[in-house]
Amino acid sequence: MNTADVLSLQTVLVKRPGNIASDMDGEKVMLNVKNGKYYNLGEVGGEIWSALDEPVSINRIVQVIQETFDVPAETAEQDVFEFVQSLLAEDLVAIDSGS
Amino acid sequence: MASTVQGLAYKAFGLQIFSEFPLPELPLTDEPGLIGSVAVIRGDLAERWQAIPKVTPSLGMLGSEVMFEAKDTAIFSIQDGIRITVSPAAGADMDCVRLYILGSCMGVLLMQKKILPLHGSALVLDNKAYALVGRSGAGKSTLASYLMDQGHLLVSDDVIPVMVQEGQPLAVPGYPQQKLWQQSLDYMGMNSSLYRPLFERETKFAVPVHDRFQTEPLPLAGVFELAVSEEEGPVTVQPINGMERFHTLFNHTYQKAIVDRIGIREWHFGMLASFVNRLPMYRLTRPKQGFSAPQQTSLIFETIKPQMEER
Repeated sequence: MNTADVLSLQTVLVKRPGNIASDMDGEKVMLNVKNGKYYNLGEVGGEIWSALDEPVSINRIVQVIQETFDVPAETAEQDVFEFVQSLLAEDLVAIDSGS
Repeated sequence: MASTVQGLAYKAFGLQIFSEFPLPELPLTDEPGLIGSVAVIRGDLAERWQAIPKVTPSLGMLGSEVMFEAKDTAIFSIQDGIRITVSPAAGADMDCVRLYILGSCMGVLLMQKKILPLHGSALVLDNKAYALVGRSGAGKSTLASYLMDQGHLLVSDDVIPVMVQEGQPLAVPGYPQQKLWQQSLDYMGMNSSLYRPLFERETKFAVPVHDRFQTEPLPLAGVFELAVSEEEGPVTVQPINGMERFHTLFNHTYQKAIVDRIGIREWHFGMLASFVNRLPMYRLTRPKQGFSAPQQTSLIFETIKPQMEER
């Protein structure tokens, strides 16, 4: 699946289970228990990950990032899309088909 | 606690250990340990061992109790981070029982107390603790022994309890003994007939090191992972960066398999995250052939020199 084609602001994302996140000097780090991989989500990524605690639209995540880091909507949108692509590629989140 | 156990109190791993079993390699103490007190008692565990849900054929778990069986040796129960119960098999070798008490049981107990047990040797270099970790055969004990020969004190051999205080990892002393392979003794020019062999490891020897032992905890200032290269060449050192540090510390956690089984993965990961960023880590690779301890030592000191100069 080419995720770039299907992602829109309305796309709703859900976290895959089995990830443990922790704080490392202000950055969010994560362990995927299934594949045993460690990830550094960074500061912005950590906020995005937290926003995903419940199934949420990309649009809503963009709003959160825009407010939290006080950046223009365009920047927030670009960052969120880019980061979400990596989360999908690593199978850490899934597109909520029920939405 | 003291009243429940008849016997002497020993000091090891930051614990005051009241033990019904003599533990002659440990120093005695009257003081409570930095991490607390623990009782080692004798008890009949046959029924409980039958009843406890098994994680593997030789490992059982229920709530805050971990049990395991070492065939023809003993059944062990480690409970709440405060009590180790031992049920020796008929005719068991008590040296062997003791090795399990001071190894596997203490490893589990430390994790129950939320203390990270690192698998390796730790030494005092420039008044700070440095851990040497690595697979079996990587040369941890040989290098530790060489460093001690150069006048550096031993913090711990095999199990290094690591506490985190205000985001700083602290290495807690184990007990004053080193386990060495015959080959290591030969390299070091020691006469193995002076030391008693460890159970079932006729070529591994217990060497007491009372005069070269660090008795108080020290900040853990770095970790060296020892690796062996098939190729000939000099000893090399590379920093271990980023998320690979988590992997390295997880890999060298004592009995890491138990971390998932007793359901403490989240705690383990969180505690690593709390200090891993501030702990320098390096991989020190030596050629397979020959005695590299002197080269490893000079490379270690070259590597930590900037840290030493900062102090």
